[in-house]
Amino acid sequence: MIKIPARILVVDDEVDFAEMLSLRLKEVGEIVISVHNGQDCLKTLEEKDNIDVVILDIKMPGMDGIEVLKEIKKKFPLMEVIMLTGHGSTETAVEGMKLGAYDYLMKPADFSDLAAKLEGARKRKDEHQERIRMAELKLLLRKTGGM
Amino acid sequence: MENVRILFIDDETAFLDTIIKRMKKRGFDPDRASNGKDGLAILEKKPIDVVVSDIRMPGMDGIEVLCEVKKRYPTTEVILLTGHATSQDGVAGIKEGAFDYLSKPIEFDHLVSKIRQAFDKILRNEEKKGEAKFRVKMEQQMIATKRLASLGTLAAGVAHEINNPLAIINESAGWMKLILEKKELADIPRRADFEMALNKIDNAVNRARIITHQLLGIVRKDNAILSEVNAREFLDEIIQMAGVEIKNKDIEIIKRIDDTLTTVWIDPHQVRQVLINLVTNAVHATAAGGKIFLTLEESGEDILFIIKDTGEGIPRENLEKIFEPFFTTKSPGNGTGLGLFIIRGIIEKLGGKIDVDSRVGVGTSFCITFPKRLKLKTNL
Repeated sequence: MIKIPARILVVDDEVDFAEMLSLRLKEVGEIVISVHNGQDCLKTLEEKDNIDVVILDIKMPGMDGIEVLKEIKKKFPLMEVIMLTGHGSTETAVEGMKLGAYDYLMKPADFSDLAAKLEGARKRKDEHQERIRMAELKLLLRKTGGM
Repeated sequence: MENVRILFIDDETAFLDTIIKRMKKRGFDPDRASNGKDGLAILEKKPIDVVVSDIRMPGMDGIEVLCEVKKRYPTTEVILLTGHATSQDGVAGIKEGAFDYLSKPIEFDHLVSKIRQAFDKILRNEEKKGEAKFRVKMEQQMIATKRLASLGTLAAGVAHEINNPLAIINESAGWMKLILEKKELADIPRRADFEMALNKIDNAVNRARIITHQLLGIVRKDNAILSEVNAREFLDEIIQMAGVEIKNKDIEIIKRIDDTLTTVWIDPHQVRQVLINLVTNAVHATAAGGKIFLTLEESGEDILFIIKDTGEGIPRENLEKIFEPFFTTKSPGNGTGLGLFIIRGIIEKLGGKIDVDSRVGVGTSFCITFPKRLKLKTNL
């Protein structure tokens, strides 16, 4: 079975980390864009409407991960986000989950963990989209008197 | 009888006879000596609080006796008796450290009150010494606590900063491994060397990851989540989770639970972490064929988890250090020295305490105490 690549946006102010994680994800067949701050993340999401999952660092100068997450969920409610934390406090990560993040990982993350979470996030997004499509279809059929 | 230990030294036997008799009537039981040398011999054999010595004596005089006593027994007080109207000798005595002097003929009540004053001074000094010791101990404890607190904050900060470069190393090595798996690179020269080195990087990152995550755990503010846990099942679970090593070493685990304790109110997640860690430590310390006792019992208002092994024991000089961060007797890579430090942190956060008792060659026993009243808190 051919795996459909996920379209991932990596957001981390650690340029080297974002670069290496992107290379690694690309190596396993994913499509990756990386940016280094919150503004660029939001700008990218506005420009490209085909991103599946955002991997978002929590601690960043300027807009931190939590603020970015709030904005993402406001503007793109269906976007799935995996939070990355270098910090031991799970509180911020849990706060992120409450705000709608799919999950969180502690740096340095285990790649297979990350891969599993990416897969889960993408699945959830697909299911959401599918449900919406079905609802829209039903609505359309009702309007045209097909049902 | 009064508990002041008194020694009279005087060459006048009649005077000694009288004074000892009167002292006994007052409830004292003083010792006596007729010269300085004999007096010092008594002091050598038994502790004396107050020495009452005549100044003018053949052989060693009172001042010499005083100097010797003060030199050898600094806490003993000396009252000098002068048979002459001159106070010169007495003053000289005070300069040498006598508590006071009395002129003969002495008034008996005056003597008794002087002895009491001297004894009071001894008691006061002892008290002061005790207080000073206590204060020093408290100060040391406070310094240690403060140092640990700031160390925790610093360690967590450092761990956080290290996690980022560690993550870069992790991703870089991981990426290189992925590249090596590509078909077109199947036949590159020295492939095994690359793989070996990349695996070493992987292992080292993992080691560092465990340390930084443990360090971050020190200041983690996770709240306790209490729930009612089946005691028997809970201990079984712990034995099971530490199971592989127990089986490999042929160690027998003996579980004991008070019949009255069917369920306990604890934070199962955190207490489990603590107990598995302690059982694993016990397994490491115990030779093949040894025993580990895992006990859960009630004691008044507390519940006690006791993990006792028949292992090698902890030397006395290490016993105080085992809860300090980074203290380990294991070789590099096998122990961070953070386990017990974190365990104690977790237990204290949960309102409990941990004690250790160990004898080299016999074994070690860790006792964790949690208040039962936690139950009340959660029921409210």
